[in-house]
Amino acid sequence: MRLKAYWTAFAVQAKQISRYRAAAFGGMVTQAFFGTMLVALYDTLIGDRTLFRETVTYVWIQQIFFRAFFTSDTEFNEQIIQGAVCYTLLRPVDLHLWCVIREMAGKIVNVLMRLVPMVLLLFLLPEAWRIRPPESTLGLVQFTVSLGVGFLSIAQINLIVSAVLMRTMDNKGITAMINLIMMILGGNIIPLTIVPERIQTLLRYQPFAQMLDAPIRMYLHTMSAPEWLLSLGIQLFWLAAMGCLSRGLWSRNIRRIELQGG
Amino acid sequence: MQLPESGIHVQGLTKRYRRSEGGKGLLGLFGRKTVQTDGLIDANFGIRRGEIVGLLGPNGAGKSTTVKLLTGILTPDGGDCTVEGIVPWKQRKRNAVQIGVVFGQRMQLWWDVPILDSFRLLRDIYAIPGERWKKRLDELTEALDLGELLSVPIRQMSLGQRMRAELCGSLLHEPSTLFLDEPTIGLDAVSKLRLREFLKSENEKRGTTVLLTTHDMADMQALCPRVLVLGHGRLLYDGALNTLLRRYDSQHRVRCSFAGEPAFGEAPRGLTVKAQESEWEIVFQPDQIPVDEVLRWLLAAGQVREMTLTEQPVDELVAEMYADLHLT
Repeated sequence: MRLKAYWTAFAVQAKQISRYRAAAFGGMVTQAFFGTMLVALYDTLIGDRTLFRETVTYVWIQQIFFRAFFTSDTEFNEQIIQGAVCYTLLRPVDLHLWCVIREMAGKIVNVLMRLVPMVLLLFLLPEAWRIRPPESTLGLVQFTVSLGVGFLSIAQINLIVSAVLMRTMDNKGITAMINLIMMILGGNIIPLTIVPERIQTLLRYQPFAQMLDAPIRMYLHTMSAPEWLLSLGIQLFWLAAMGCLSRGLWSRNIRRIELQGG
Repeated sequence: MQLPESGIHVQGLTKRYRRSEGGKGLLGLFGRKTVQTDGLIDANFGIRRGEIVGLLGPNGAGKSTTVKLLTGILTPDGGDCTVEGIVPWKQRKRNAVQIGVVFGQRMQLWWDVPILDSFRLLRDIYAIPGERWKKRLDELTEALDLGELLSVPIRQMSLGQRMRAELCGSLLHEPSTLFLDEPTIGLDAVSKLRLREFLKSENEKRGTTVLLTTHDMADMQALCPRVLVLGHGRLLYDGALNTLLRRYDSQHRVRCSFAGEPAFGEAPRGLTVKAQESEWEIVFQPDQIPVDEVLRWLLAAGQVREMTLTEQPVDELVAEMYADLHLT
């Protein structure tokens, strides 16, 4: 396997995405605004101050990593529609892995571009509305590892959407649908930590909670080793499941893709 | 069935495109049916290593489909083909290493980054050893005159520069077979001539097999001694381009001017004479009247000052051929 090729794919994609600084800034402002609204709302809704402070942190982490929910590789999707994907199909590489890596590169750069300015921006808010630092260094490590797995599973969802695109040549419908489901079940609209206990246990095991919700819980409360491994295990289980699905769809659809014209 | 190891071999290759089509009106949303279009039907041909072959045919004839099948992008519905002993769609990655492809209407190099970065990425993708890559890059940069462009991203290049960069990109890994799908589309005369020269020298120096599709008949004539004509997905002709053109070359035109007023004798049958200002235009069919007879008749008419013999423009011939083969 040409590992170097995949690494270069990562580097080039990271370089490309880092050019969209204006978009990153615009997105950041939107998310800061939206986050402030949510925080203000929960301030009036949640009486329990400890729960409120936790929810504030939850909301802000969701907003900071919001962009990662969406595909960063719009270029590839456009290539599918326009038929330029020909060239990508001509490379001696594993196409699915190649695209996972491009997707990850985009997500990481997008997040890094927003991370520092967003956190700085938050210092303009009253103290109670700001993000809280992680409970411990160990918690931060747990969070970071888990976040990586979370990003990988989002990437699988993004690739499943691309696979549908290969068949239908239009991804507006499926994208809108999947994004809405991700926003709700992923905890972006309503933090999964504040829904009633009984539903919450159910929600924690579904695939979309493995993307950002699981990492955020580690940020909020440092887990014991077995607890953490269990949580990570669930994340990895869903990652494997979605990985298999997206890979399967890809190998099927690439064989059936019809590139007409040109 | 075992196909030979070298060159390109195609047997009964078939590809159909399917699309679903709704009926008319709102109810049509429910009764969808699948419509098939022929991409390529039962094609048979072989190309020896080191040959340059042109694919000719009107739009939608199956040229691009052929290229996409041979490069492994599409999976056929039937038939066999091998490129240097490899079945493209079964061993897509292995085939990718040995072929180079340029689609004139698409871009492979990264839009926003300097082309040198793209070339570096291609080096890593194709696992080309560093020194070998450097040597090849120098060679191609020189031949394609890309020296000053290496630090420029594709989006800032002219069409001709872009095409040269694209070609360089697809040849870096020293492929044994090169597929070119309309490489000269939109290029000016100078760029075209340069490109042709380059392709010829690549073919001569390295023995690269080239399969070329183009609508530019001058490209075809300059590069391809042999052509394959496709129409409606079927292979209609396989042979020398000249032989094919002669078949349709029904009209010759002689323009001449005389010192003084010519006195024409009785014109041979089937020959037309037209006066055009100070010139005369004579149109005849070479298969009916031998050229020497026409010339003798002309010389007898007076003192010829100037004379040009023009064949029918190739594009007209091709149009005639397409009409003859019911392709239009």
